[in-house]
Amino acid sequence: MSGVLSLQKPLKNAVWWSVITLLAFFTLDAAIFRSGWYGKYLQPNSSTGIVEDHLYWLLHTPRVKKGEVLVLGDSRVAEGFSAPTAGAEGANRLKFWNFGLPGASVRNWYYVLRDADPDRHRFKAIVLSLERYTDDDSADNPPDRIADLGYSLGRLRLTDCRDFAMSMKSPERRQTALSGCLFKGLPLCADIHEFLLEAAARIKAADASREHGLAWMDGYTGIPENLTGLSADIEHGVINFPAGLNPVRTMSIKQSVLPVWAPDRGQTTAYRKLWIGRILDLYRDTDTRIIFIEMPRAPLALPDGKVPPRFLQSIAGRSQVSVIPADRFRDLERPELFGDGLHLNSTGRALFSAKLSREVFRVLGIH
Amino acid sequence: MLFTTFPFLVFLVVVLCLFYLLPRPARRYLLLAASLFFYMAWNVKFVVLILGLITIDYFAALWIRSRQGWQRRMALLVSLAANIGLLGWFKYANFIRETWFHFAHAGAVVQPLDIILPLGISFHTFQSISYVIDVYRGEQPAITSYVDYALFVSFFPQLVAGPIVRAKEFFLDYFNWRPPTAEEWQRACAMILTGYVKKMIFADQFMLVADRYFANPQALPGLIPAWTGAIAFALQIFFDFSGYTDIAIGVALLFGFHFPENFRRPYLAASVTEFWRRWHMTLSGWLRDYVYISLGGNRRGELRTYANLLFTMLLGGLWHGASWNFVIWGGYHGALLAVERAVWGRKELRGVARIPLASLTFLLVCGGWVFFRAKTLTAALYVTGQMFSSVHGHSLMTPPHWRLAAAALVVALSEEYGSMLTKLAVSPAWLVTAVAVIALLAIEIFSASDQAVPFVYFQF
Repeated sequence: MSGVLSLQKPLKNAVWWSVITLLAFFTLDAAIFRSGWYGKYLQPNSSTGIVEDHLYWLLHTPRVKKGEVLVLGDSRVAEGFSAPTAGAEGANRLKFWNFGLPGASVRNWYYVLRDADPDRHRFKAIVLSLERYTDDDSADNPPDRIADLGYSLGRLRLTDCRDFAMSMKSPERRQTALSGCLFKGLPLCADIHEFLLEAAARIKAADASREHGLAWMDGYTGIPENLTGLSADIEHGVINFPAGLNPVRTMSIKQSVLPVWAPDRGQTTAYRKLWIGRILDLYRDTDTRIIFIEMPRAPLALPDGKVPPRFLQSIAGRSQVSVIPADRFRDLERPELFGDGLHLNSTGRALFSAKLSREVFRVLGIH
Repeated sequence: MLFTTFPFLVFLVVVLCLFYLLPRPARRYLLLAASLFFYMAWNVKFVVLILGLITIDYFAALWIRSRQGWQRRMALLVSLAANIGLLGWFKYANFIRETWFHFAHAGAVVQPLDIILPLGISFHTFQSISYVIDVYRGEQPAITSYVDYALFVSFFPQLVAGPIVRAKEFFLDYFNWRPPTAEEWQRACAMILTGYVKKMIFADQFMLVADRYFANPQALPGLIPAWTGAIAFALQIFFDFSGYTDIAIGVALLFGFHFPENFRRPYLAASVTEFWRRWHMTLSGWLRDYVYISLGGNRRGELRTYANLLFTMLLGGLWHGASWNFVIWGGYHGALLAVERAVWGRKELRGVARIPLASLTFLLVCGGWVFFRAKTLTAALYVTGQMFSSVHGHSLMTPPHWRLAAAALVVALSEEYGSMLTKLAVSPAWLVTAVAVIALLAIEIFSASDQAVPFVYFQF
């Protein structure tokens, strides 16, 4: 075909060239964003970068024959769980992985797990840490959380785009999710701009994170501060804060000690059924045990939520699922073990990690 | 359904495929249905309004064609009253009410009426008015098919924000329809792509600067913030509106319709008169033909000419929006046009002599944009004051913004003097493809936002 369109050439040629242009663009886009090429240079602390780094560390570490356990969660796990401490508690008979992805949700966990364990045989157990067992609906509407796009961006395949977008609720979010999934450069544009402005520094930071990030994470000991002196009259909604707290920590305490729930519409139950259900489906008929834990919820003991744990009740009978009783970690809900309203501090981290390790060993029947 | 969203792209591809697959007689029904669907995607209820106006104007034109004397005038008046009346109600009722209360009951708190401005009403009413007047003047035959006329008014590429297409332009293509040539198709794709680049890369970046400044000008006092805020808005509105127009013209061309040019590098104009020959050309042409010339144009002496210019531009300002800011903006341009005509006449400069005058014109236009963009008259006056302040302050445009502006200037100059973009649009297909792929990637990664930002002119 000649490369020149002219007045004499038929319209069909021009239409074909339009199609070729789009195909060439899709190919170039895929070469940059779907081949993993740009993934190597993501800002390590970005939502996408955090997920990609964790997966890089996991997939580039040889499998351990004696068994591995993946602990999935959000920042509560990132701050409150130490994989080396958990391993040491069990004399390193199991290797623990801390997949605490700050800000990530169960929707993101599904996409992470799908790629973290492609043959579904790597882990003896996967620990899914829930913020709370009860299915209270939160005001921030998790099914419509567009931030989930960022966490899952590196994992989303073209075939996921429709499904991922439709899992959002509002038409605007669906559209943003669909366009972001199809054209990953759109949600990554801020990351790319920053990269282009300081490419050398970014490459250095990204390389360092991939090479040393796991060691840094394993060497992290947790938040040094504690909240000793914190007390509350939960019934009357009064909190007595210890002196010297900054507004961010004060706010986080308010949010965890006196949470505001939306009216129960069964949203959380449906959301958990969808995404945790998919995780369970991934591991159906495998040897991997799925263990649910409720993270220490707040620096003070709280009453149970008003909505029953409908989702967990619905899966309780499944053979490969273990639900650790909700009260198992509640003795850690103390001000001296928390660094802010949500996160255990270094002492709490050590205690929680050891305790979780013992629970996992117990569930797996390893003595 | 914004042009910059996925639903629009899907809509366009579907309509385009159906258009060329369907037998020719069915295509007009498809385009009308698609146009009404496009309109209803914004608000289903208001389709009654646009269809109502279409019906009135359609029958008014037929009445004008078939009657004589006062009956023709009556039909024209009914049509004008319907169009101007509805436009006035939806667009100006609150403004008139507030102004009335302000003068009659000073200090009274006026609760605005809950009126939603129908999408594109300023554009389609002007298009309809021009059609009925043209029929009345005998310059346009009345359209006998309701579907044909309804399509002229509601054709989706120009429905929301123009360009304001005249009936004779539209029906010339419509009644002599032929598929676009290969070159036209290529040009259409290039225009659409250029429009997206203008909107999503340039306009939305400058919008961030302009929005930051005009959200609270008092927080950023000084001469430099005021000027950089105004310049940012000048660039935003140009790239936004001309980007929209490029997409509209390109989309129409894919269907075989040739829409008129609406922007011709207006910031290279060396006078305000020239600026209005290059900026929103279909509106200036409309105002010239249906207001300025109707008022007598320049045939009734110098003073009357200046008055006509002033009145026409005041009306043009008011057309953009119902506030004193737009009245002042229009009046400011009218006054500049009159002064220019009095002092400068009709001289036209060429070559480097244009540079200082083009710079001055740009600054004068930027001064006018302050009234266009500021939320209130008080804010506009404050910003204008800051433009002459002795306090300097800091530039709100960062080096990347200046680089974008410089790149745009280089492209504009090369198009002005070498028709670079025009030549590129019809160059060998492999070259157009390569440039298009780079442009698409640039849109993807240099967009100011990963969410669609509405076009500025949608509010009019």
